[in-house]
Amino acid sequence: MTDLLDRPPGGLPYPGGDGDDLELMLMIRAFEYKLLDLFAAGMLNGTTHTCLGQEHVPVALSPLMDPRDHVFSNHRGHGHYLARYRDPHGLLAEIMGREGAVCGGVGGSQHIHRDRYMSTGVQGESLPVAAGVALHLSRAEPGAAAWAYIGDGTFGEGAVYEALNIAALWRLPVVVVVENNGIAQSTPTSAHLAGTIAGRAAAFGVPHLAIGSTDPAEIRDIVAGPLGHVRAGRGPLVLEFRTHRLGPHSKGDDTRDEQALREARAGDWYHRYAAADPAGLARVESEQRAYVAAVADEVAARPPSTGRAACG
Amino acid sequence: MITMAQALNAALGDAMAEDEQVVVFGEDVGALGGVFRITDGLTAKYGEDRCFDTPLAESGIVGFAVGMAMGGFRPVVEMQFDAFAYPAFEQIASHVAKTRNRTRGRVGLPLVIRIPYGGGIGGVEHHCDSSEAYYAHTPGLKVVTPATVQDAYSLLREAIDDPDPVVFMEPKKLYWSKADIGRLARTEPFGRAAVRRAGSDATLIAYGPSVPVALETAEAATQEGWDLEVIDLRTIVPFDDATVTASVRRTGRCVVVGEAAGFAGVGAEIAARVQERCFHSLAAPVLRVTGFDVPYPPPMLEHHHLPSVDRILDTLDRLQRDDLPDTRFLALGGAA
Repeated sequence: MTDLLDRPPGGLPYPGGDGDDLELMLMIRAFEYKLLDLFAAGMLNGTTHTCLGQEHVPVALSPLMDPRDHVFSNHRGHGHYLARYRDPHGLLAEIMGREGAVCGGVGGSQHIHRDRYMSTGVQGESLPVAAGVALHLSRAEPGAAAWAYIGDGTFGEGAVYEALNIAALWRLPVVVVVENNGIAQSTPTSAHLAGTIAGRAAAFGVPHLAIGSTDPAEIRDIVAGPLGHVRAGRGPLVLEFRTHRLGPHSKGDDTRDEQALREARAGDWYHRYAAADPAGLARVESEQRAYVAAVADEVAARPPSTGRAACG
Repeated sequence: MITMAQALNAALGDAMAEDEQVVVFGEDVGALGGVFRITDGLTAKYGEDRCFDTPLAESGIVGFAVGMAMGGFRPVVEMQFDAFAYPAFEQIASHVAKTRNRTRGRVGLPLVIRIPYGGGIGGVEHHCDSSEAYYAHTPGLKVVTPATVQDAYSLLREAIDDPDPVVFMEPKKLYWSKADIGRLARTEPFGRAAVRRAGSDATLIAYGPSVPVALETAEAATQEGWDLEVIDLRTIVPFDDATVTASVRRTGRCVVVGEAAGFAGVGAEIAARVQERCFHSLAAPVLRVTGFDVPYPPPMLEHHHLPSVDRILDTLDRLQRDDLPDTRFLALGGAA
C-alpha cells in the first residue's frame, strides 16, 4: 500500500510534504472547487457532495490511522480519501470515468474501495460493517481499528444504534467520527435530532469526545489518548467534530439564509491560517490550486476507463 | 432416517469443523440452537467465538457479516423468519449484492444468509412469506433452496464454500421431512436442476416446498393418463436454463408451481424464459400455480392459498392435451 501513497498511478506526484497539514487541507479544498467547476462546465455527471469547510477532520485523523486500520467513508468522502492516499488523480479519474480510476469508474464519487478503505453513500450503512471488520481485527490483528465517518443526519438511521450496541457489547475497536456540520442536506440538526449525540453515545456506555478545534495538531493531541484505549481493546469511541459546511449539500440545494451561511463561513478553519500568515497561506493555496488544475487537465485528457481498477 | 433440519445442522457442523473461519451467528442460535434447532449444539461443540447470539438487529447482523467477510471470516447468519429479514434488506441490496461489482472483483463476500421461508406450518403472516423473488431480482445474489434432505446438506455446504454471497432459503414445512441417507455427501454444484421424476407429457417446474407437492401431483395424474416430468430447480439463481429447456422442448407443455404470489414472481420469470426458449415446441401456454396475490392468509385459509394437488391437476386440464385449442378460459374473461 505504501508505494501507492505518494505516487499515484500515472499522475503528477503530489507536491505536498508529508505531515504538512495546511498543504493537504488546501489540496482537498482546491479539489472540491475544481469538481464544482467541472460540473458547471458539463464535464461531470450525476452529483457530488463536497467537504468544503470540513477538510481538517480527515487531515487531522489520517496520521493516527494505522495501515492495518479499515476506514469507512460516506457520501461526503473526497477529503477522507485524499487525506489517506493523497491521490487526486485516481479519485478524479473515478469521478470522471477515466483511465486510472480507483475502482475502474464503477464506484464514482460515493462508492470508493481501495485496500482497507471503502465508502458508501447510504447513510449509516457502513457502521455495522465497521463493527464486523472490527471483530475480525480484534481476533486477527489486535491493535488495529475500524473507523467510520458519519454525519449528524446519520443519527436518524437505526443501523447506527444496532452497530453501537454490538460494538459496545463486544468491546470492538470502532472509532465513529461524526462530522456534525449542523445540517442534514437541508434540515438543521435542531429539526432532526432529539437530545444530543453525546447523550446517544452515553446510552450505550461509549466514550464521546466533542471537538471544536480546527487545528490538526491539537486534534491529534486530543484524540491520541482515547484512541489508545480503543486499540487496547476497551471498546468503541465516538469523536464528534463541530464542523461547518461551506457549500451546498450537493449542488444548488442550499436552503440556508444569509445569516446561517455567514456563520458557517465564520467557522472556517481557513481564517485561522489567514490571520497567522496571510502571505504564506496565499502562496500554498496558489500552489495547490495550480497542482489540482494540472491534475484535472491531465485526467480529463485520458481515455475513458476500461472498467479495470487502478489499485487494490 | 434423518430430518432436513438435522441435515442442515450437520452441514453447518461439518463446515465449521473443516474451516475455522466459518462462524455462525444470529438471534437465539446459541444456547437455544435457533427456533428450528438448526444450530443445535454448535456453540457447545465449537465455542461462543464460532456460534453466538446477537441482539435483535437484522440489519446490524447482516452488516456485521459483511464486515466479517471483508476481514476474512466466512459468516453464516440466520434470519429467524422470512419477514424478519426485511430490515436487513438494505444491507443485502446495497452491500451484500453490490460489493463484488463495485470493487471490480477485488472484494468478494463469502457469506450465507439463511432464511426459513414459506408456509404450511399454520403460522402468522410474518412467519410464512415466500420472499425469494426479492433476492432473485437483486443481481449479485445467489438464491438457493433445497427440497430434499440430501440437498439440504449438499447445497448448504456449497453455499458456505461459495466465494460470493448466497441467500439460502429453507422451506420450513420440510424441516421435519425425513430421508434414509447412508452418508451425507456433497453432490452437484450450483446451477444444476434435478429431474425428480421423468415423464413425457408435460413438465412441472418447482423448487423448495413445492417439489413434494409437484411429485404427489405427478403420481395422482397417472390416474388421468398423464406422464409428468418434475424438475426441482435447487438453485433459483443461477438458473438452469439447459435442463428446463431440454425438458419442455421434449414434453411441449409446462406448469410452474410455487407458493409465492404469482404477480411479478419467480414463476413469471420461469414462464418467460420457457416461452423465449421453447416457443416452437410449446403445444399450450405456460401456466402457473401460485399463491394468490394477497398478504399471507390466516392458518384456517392457508390450504386454499398454497398450491395443492387439486389445483395443479385442474391446471393440467388446461394444457390442451389433444392439441385442440382450449377455449374455456375465454368464458372466464381470459384470466389464467
